[in-house]
Amino acid sequence: MTSKSRSLISKCVITAFCGLLVLVYLFPYTWMVMTAFRSPVDSFERPPKFFFQPTLDGVRYLFEVVEFNGYLISSTIVTLVTVLATIVIAVPAAYAVAHVEKNSKSFLIFILVARMIPGIAIVVPVYLLASQFRLLDTYQVLVLMNIAFNLPFAIWLLRSFFIEVHPGLREAALVDGCSEVQVLTLVMSPLVLGGIMATAVFVFIAVWNEFLFALVLSGPHTATAPIAVLGFRTAFGIQWDSMSAAAFLISAPVIVFAFIMQRYLVQGLTMGSIK
Amino acid sequence: MTLVLENNAARPRSKRTKRPGLWLMLPAAAAMLLAFGAPLIFSAWYSFTRWSLVRPASKSEFVGLSNYTRVLTDHEYWQAIGVTLTYAASAVTIECILGIALALLLNKQMFGRGIFRSLMLIPMVMTPAVVGLFWKLFFEESDGLFNYFLTAAGLPALPWLGVSMALVSIVILDVWQATPFFMLIMLAGLQSMDRNIVEAAEIDGASRLQVFRYITLPHLVPYIMVAAAFRIIGALADFDKIYLLTFGGPGNVTTTVSLYAYNRGFKIFDIGQTTAISWLFIILVLTITAPLIWHLLRGSSTARH
Repeated sequence: MTSKSRSLISKCVITAFCGLLVLVYLFPYTWMVMTAFRSPVDSFERPPKFFFQPTLDGVRYLFEVVEFNGYLISSTIVTLVTVLATIVIAVPAAYAVAHVEKNSKSFLIFILVARMIPGIAIVVPVYLLASQFRLLDTYQVLVLMNIAFNLPFAIWLLRSFFIEVHPGLREAALVDGCSEVQVLTLVMSPLVLGGIMATAVFVFIAVWNEFLFALVLSGPHTATAPIAVLGFRTAFGIQWDSMSAAAFLISAPVIVFAFIMQRYLVQGLTMGSIK
Repeated sequence: MTLVLENNAARPRSKRTKRPGLWLMLPAAAAMLLAFGAPLIFSAWYSFTRWSLVRPASKSEFVGLSNYTRVLTDHEYWQAIGVTLTYAASAVTIECILGIALALLLNKQMFGRGIFRSLMLIPMVMTPAVVGLFWKLFFEESDGLFNYFLTAAGLPALPWLGVSMALVSIVILDVWQATPFFMLIMLAGLQSMDRNIVEAAEIDGASRLQVFRYITLPHLVPYIMVAAAFRIIGALADFDKIYLLTFGGPGNVTTTVSLYAYNRGFKIFDIGQTTAISWLFIILVLTITAPLIWHLLRGSSTARH
């Protein structure tokens, strides 16, 4: 009995310690959210004000003056199209690498090398090519670059899920007269649905957060949400409330999404990194 | 199994294309060749010209290797490489240590463990550009919160974004954002551990430190290697956070190769040199990550059924 109550006490102590630690770790985030809903006067009061009269002035400025909804619409379009297209392109390739092609080493090397290439090395020539073909500030180029940049990772991750499926299933389906496409869509895909979800989660986060391509290749018509943050570095200093409101609103969708999809996120992390 | 194979061989050839695998890979290969292949060939070509956007005629002036020799003899280039490597190496080392510590802690029995783990996802999934921006709330020298806390504690204020500290600050930024990534992978590693071995060691009288040193840590090594490798690739190419927090400054103290190339391209418009830097950077990153590629490929052939 005593050992049981002792373990309960130690559990409480550990909980309190970890709670405090997480609180401190996330303090920068919490403070940013507070700044978003606090008047600039209150924000610069010292000692810092943790309790204050919340205001929506920062958010209002963001939507009325910065026209933030335009950025959000662009981000939504680019992200959704990219995630869908990446999955549609990556799933067959991953299936082929895992099950169909016996000798896919050169394709795997190609994928891994592509995965290592830094964005800056690609974005300069893409900018030059896009400006030559008058494709700057179009969704097409932005989406294409996002797809291509996420494909290597998506294929690699999906492949590790496909490998888990026993090859006998495919062989049996082939014997029964299925084509490879039918094997993939009817037999394999339902079995790796978790992997497809995990991949979609990662691509979603990566594309929503993407900055460099959007910075160089987008323009007034296609600028995505992360580009909106550039507007707050004015000559008069930074407008802290609306800047924090932007920071809060840009990161809110990915955070909510990550919470909902947490299971897949963690699964993808471990699968993608270990296999 | 043999029966299946025989049946396979017996089925009519005409019903299927000869190499269905290639067709399934084709869209992916095409998208990547279009988005990577074409620009890279284009940039390789122009890295041998004197092309500058301010002088359009210079597009066809071939200068041989002179862009490469000019970059390689530019001390700013070497400084950028130094900044990049220092940033990546120190950030990843700290993230690794903190990630293991946090994972060990959040692997203990407690209430609300799942909630704590979920909350730690926030920094990891946040938009890096946004992180670079709002951390100014803390780093600003006069109004920033860090200096308020320091002075309130009776310590001198620090020039967080000044020449002496800016590199440290961008490392702090990356550590805050990427440590949860290490933590999650380490947690997966810890969960895959065989409890029996730990218990057997404890019965044999091993101390906690010994269990960690001789059982837990060796078990985590492959997880550490892969997490570190992937984070190094990310850190070497990092752009957004640094662009928004310090813009490479003050001076050049936080100018990584990415920012150096960006400035050459979009501020000085020297395409010849920018493309040369891009190619040198690609070679550098591939050299550093070659062991990882090799490791992943070797793993890929054994992981197959």
